[in-house]
Amino acid sequence: MGDILNAFTQGCVFMPYTEIKKWRNNEIEKQETSDELNAFHDSLMKKVFEAALKKVNEQSGLPPCQYAWFVMGSAGRYEQAIISDQDHGLIYEEENEETNRYFKKLGKELAFGLHEAGYPYCDGNVMSSNPVWCRSKQSWKKQLAGWLKEESFESIRFLLIFYDARTLVGEAEYVLHLKQHIHDFINQKPDLLERFLENTMHVKKAVGFFHQLLPETHGSHAGSIDLKQSGFFPYVNAVRLLAMKESVEVTSTLSRIDELSRNSTYVQELKSCKEDFDKLLHYRLMHHKKMTENYEDIHYLDVKELSKYEKKDLKHILKNGEKLQDYTQSVIKGMMRR
Amino acid sequence: MEEILFSLNSVWLVLGALLVILMQGGFILLEAGSTRMKNAGHIAGKTVFTFGLASIVFWAVGYGFIFGGNSNFFIGLSNFFYSGDQADGMPYSTAAFFLFQLAFAGISLTIAFGGFAERAKLSAYLVFAILFSVLVYPVVAHWIWGGGWLAEHGKQDFAGSTVVHLTGAMAAFAATILLKPRIGKFNKNGTANNIFGHNQVYTALGVIVLWVGWFGFNGGSTFVVDDGFFGFVALNTNIAAGAGAVAALIISWIVLGKSDIPTILNGALAGLVAITASCAFVETWAAVVIGFVAGILVFYSVKFFDRLKVDDPIYALSVHGAAGVWGTLSTGLFATPELAAVGKPGLFYGGGFSQLGVQAMGVTVSAIYAFVVSFVLLYAMKKVMKGLRVSEEEEIIGLDVSEHGNYGYPEAFIANEEKNRIAN
Repeated sequence: MGDILNAFTQGCVFMPYTEIKKWRNNEIEKQETSDELNAFHDSLMKKVFEAALKKVNEQSGLPPCQYAWFVMGSAGRYEQAIISDQDHGLIYEEENEETNRYFKKLGKELAFGLHEAGYPYCDGNVMSSNPVWCRSKQSWKKQLAGWLKEESFESIRFLLIFYDARTLVGEAEYVLHLKQHIHDFINQKPDLLERFLENTMHVKKAVGFFHQLLPETHGSHAGSIDLKQSGFFPYVNAVRLLAMKESVEVTSTLSRIDELSRNSTYVQELKSCKEDFDKLLHYRLMHHKKMTENYEDIHYLDVKELSKYEKKDLKHILKNGEKLQDYTQSVIKGMMRR
Repeated sequence: MEEILFSLNSVWLVLGALLVILMQGGFILLEAGSTRMKNAGHIAGKTVFTFGLASIVFWAVGYGFIFGGNSNFFIGLSNFFYSGDQADGMPYSTAAFFLFQLAFAGISLTIAFGGFAERAKLSAYLVFAILFSVLVYPVVAHWIWGGGWLAEHGKQDFAGSTVVHLTGAMAAFAATILLKPRIGKFNKNGTANNIFGHNQVYTALGVIVLWVGWFGFNGGSTFVVDDGFFGFVALNTNIAAGAGAVAALIISWIVLGKSDIPTILNGALAGLVAITASCAFVETWAAVVIGFVAGILVFYSVKFFDRLKVDDPIYALSVHGAAGVWGTLSTGLFATPELAAVGKPGLFYGGGFSQLGVQAMGVTVSAIYAFVVSFVLLYAMKKVMKGLRVSEEEEIIGLDVSEHGNYGYPEAFIANEEKNRIAN
């Protein structure tokens, strides 16, 4: 069995979606660290891509031009939980009727395949099956420019989502190239950063006035902390914002912190950040091994299950997330004032 | 001079009665706003007809049971089917006094129906309106206000923290236990869901209408205008309500990390309920303390009943029950020697524990009576009427349609029905 699996991960054997799902179910709980888990997710998603491409090949032949398939959201940041919904897009070299038709088909197949393999559809429709996220290089450039100029709530969300894009299959420079446009734009018009700031700074409070944890009070998650909203988001959003300001290309929160820490301005403030975020990833992984298969449940951490030490630790992490946000806010606002 | 005072007192009592009857409007807004659209018309309508029913019962027997002569341990036994006669030596119109007392009985009943919300059959409202108005409210009111044994004991309950609010809340408690939680209130794992009210503006307006009505409730309870004492009572009433709202805002912000609007609204009401017993007996600073404590108490009381898995849709148990108990006890702490026209001064004014003891005993006995009798009556109704609750289907489609055949918000629902029909 091990040999077969190895062969799968090497990409030599074609697997249908149902087989990929079986593989996933057998192996996913065995992943010890967040890095291992995400490496595994990457291999799964690449397998899905192969299967989807094969299916489209059979009907429509080989891809008519070069392309890149990229993932965004937690997958883009290399910090997926055991269950994560899908966020992905396609960029292709040439714009014409044939390529449009071909990649539209591939995009739809990818979303379907990922769903079959155990990645729930994205509620926000951030998937290659959606024309917004599946277009030619030229058209992508136009779309990004539009978003940058428009600065509406939606376009700001789209830009933030796109900024976490990481190429999984195909030409990696496409995404990097597009991101360069964002960097150039920000350099010319830094007040855009303030719009990003406003869009992300609202956080669900999880530590109260007396330094007590504030779990959910009602609903089926009563007694649990919403780790996604209160724990991950402050770190992810603050670090992404600093990365945008400093034109950092890597996408995972931890590697963004590393990259930013090379800059002496941030080294002090980001020192404990990395450790805290690492712990968050760990808490999620440890506690969710016991959890159900529901995507909604995966973000909740039951306070009763935590030891006294863990509770203290968690409060510390959540508080530091708030501090990091305050810091980021002062950096961005301070920059504006200058 | 006496004639002028007689007239003025009577005007004051009728004005008080009007304000208290207007509180029914406050309850309609409060209760309808705190529940779902599909039950709104039902909630509004049932408040009107049960008040009508309670009025007739009060005229026939309630008034006589409370204030009549030839009394036994439980009730008085004269003045049934009150004719409007003027009682000898009364410094105001007896008919005005009757109307004022009738309004109070109506409020207690409406509070009790808070525990019925969103799931009780219309017939259960009808039958219980009569039984409560005959057998529950008059007994407690007689004991404390009608010269009964608690009155002789020196129990202080100026305008009815116990008589009106706690009695109503205890009946609501019995009802909500027997009716069981609304569909969807609790999850299998024991956690509670928030069933959000459909209009927070209604709820807040309801609170303001009640707040204003309370000046009739408490201020009117002076019965006479001669020394202008009602002004002081109104002052205490207002600052206690304010303190309750502020306290609730602070506690919800501290504990939940957010200033929760339903909690703030409950806090104002809890301050009003608590000051009802003590408004005439305490100094202004004490009114602030009493309201403030009530605002915090109501927050924890709501959590407590959630944990007990008691579904209390409009927080009647916490706002009228918990705060009613606290308000009654508060005079045992804060009543001053100058103001304690009934009973003795409280613990903080050199009265020792004696008045506190009187209050504690009075509130306990009244609560037990109201709860046990209401429970027995409702239990018997449940057996005889084959259940107090509408069917699951009726509860889901809403009581507007199931009980009355008409929507409170026709456009909102009929449009959906049309759509479904077209889709099918």
